[in-house]
Amino acid sequence: MSGGMYLVDGKNLSLFKDKPIKVLLAKPGIDGHDRGVLVLAKAFRDAGMEVLYAGLLPTPEEVVDTAINEDVDVIALSLLNGAHLTVFRKISELLKKRGIDDIAVVGGGTIPDGDKPKLEKLGITGNYGPGTPLSTIVDHITARASEARSRKMQ
Amino acid sequence: MKIQDIINGILNGDRRSIARAISIVEDDEMVIESSEVIKGIYNHTGRAHVIGITGPPGIGKSTMIGRLARILSDGNKKVSVIAVDASSPFSGGSLLGNRIRMQESLTENGIFMRSLANRGMNGGLSRSTWDAVKILDAAGNDYIIIETVGAGQADLDIVDLADTVIVVLGPGLGDEIQAIKAGIMEIGDIFVVNKMDRDGSFLAMKDIQDSLAMTPQKEWKVPVIGLDSLKGKGYDELVSEIMKHGEFNGSRPNIRLDRFMKEVEMALQAEIRRQYLLEARELLKSKDAIARFSGEKIDPYSAAMKILRSGKAGL
Ligand SMILES: Nc1nc2c(ncn2[C@@H]2O[C@H](COP(=O)(O)OP(=O)(O)OP(=O)(O)O)[C@@H](O)[C@H]2O)c(=O)[nH]1
Ligand SMILES: [Mg+2]
Repeated sequence: MSGGMYLVDGKNLSLFKDKPIKVLLAKPGIDGHDRGVLVLAKAFRDAGMEVLYAGLLPTPEEVVDTAINEDVDVIALSLLNGAHLTVFRKISELLKKRGIDDIAVVGGGTIPDGDKPKLEKLGITGNYGPGTPLSTIVDHITARASEARSRKMQ
Repeated sequence: MKIQDIINGILNGDRRSIARAISIVEDDEMVIESSEVIKGIYNHTGRAHVIGITGPPGIGKSTMIGRLARILSDGNKKVSVIAVDASSPFSGGSLLGNRIRMQESLTENGIFMRSLANRGMNGGLSRSTWDAVKILDAAGNDYIIIETVGAGQADLDIVDLADTVIVVLGPGLGDEIQAIKAGIMEIGDIFVVNKMDRDGSFLAMKDIQDSLAMTPQKEWKVPVIGLDSLKGKGYDELVSEIMKHGEFNGSRPNIRLDRFMKEVEMALQAEIRRQYLLEARELLKSKDAIARFSGEKIDPYSAAMKILRSGKAGL
């Protein structure tokens, strides 16, 4: 529940509101800036999330470092070309190596159907293509975030 | 992660523990856990030089911090950065955008950086920022830099929290500068005019110097420094003034006591708020009774009094 109706400018009335989901939005590795990421960022914010954008072309190491320092609930990876498998895999390996199981990873972009099971196997879910309704993506992130949260509390 | 593990982690400088601890102090619901963390590390705090950087939106604070953090981290010094962003008053969400401007220098130099959303707390830095500073202090940082959006009185809390307050202004603020100045002329230990590569920057410097000349003289002589943060010009002078101000602070033990007072006040508020929260939630449990008040056209004040008197909305 985003509970936006409780927030009044200048007053934190979040008394009855859940802590916002924190998302790192990253478009690592290969191609340049695109507006799609910004559209997503705004949609996430409007859904009540705290959104970090990892900037242009972060390396997988930078993505993981940022995710740890910012203690995000979800890393949302976006890619627009075929190199996703290597990059996505690298990120999930780095997380595993550092013993992190309480940050969820979701993917999106132009991902061939054949690759989706491989990504799922790495724990990278969603993997929505262009044209997916924003609400579907927001719902998916919300669900993954609450799983990640429950592991943080242990 | 267990609280004790987190505390040990912080003291060992472990980033995951530091990051998790900051999430805990950020969480309104975790006042008890927060106080556990702070209790566990308090003896290790008080060493860092806390530098607050404030100024109007877009003036170049993040760009400047990116450079400053790198310079300060030279010679094996540990530097961390906290950047506070505003939450959307409508959704409660936020875009935490400061990181992008600093990113490069962060990763290259092992600088820890954390973005905090102010979660609707206007009028200054929230309690969580104070606690985050304590955590970073206990983790062995030599310098902690805090970025806050300030365009007037809204950010006066930075004075209580930071050892050194740097107010960043620039050319082209137009008439706005008068309004901004009204709120922050007194709080700056150092003034910066950023974007010295732009027209009007010397005028802006003179304007600030003139205003400073009219404010009452204090022991510390407030410098006005021009920076070009794209090229990195002016930073030697900035760093040297920061160091000088750090030494100046060392000669004023009172500021520690002032800060402690403020902290106790905030801790009290947090505890009262927590108790209030629990109680209010309990009192509001019965939606039926409240719906009945509504049906009977009982005004909210009377309804609140009825609920309070009976101890719950069930009546
Ligand atoms: N010309 C010029 N541009 C600068 C200088 N410093 C920063 N900028 C630019 O000013 C813009 C804003 O910089 P930021 O560092 O994001 O400013 P900020 O004060 O942190 O902004 P907010 O966090 O949004 O309040 C960017 O486009 C920078 O590249 C400078 O010295 N000269
Ligand atoms: Mg900024």
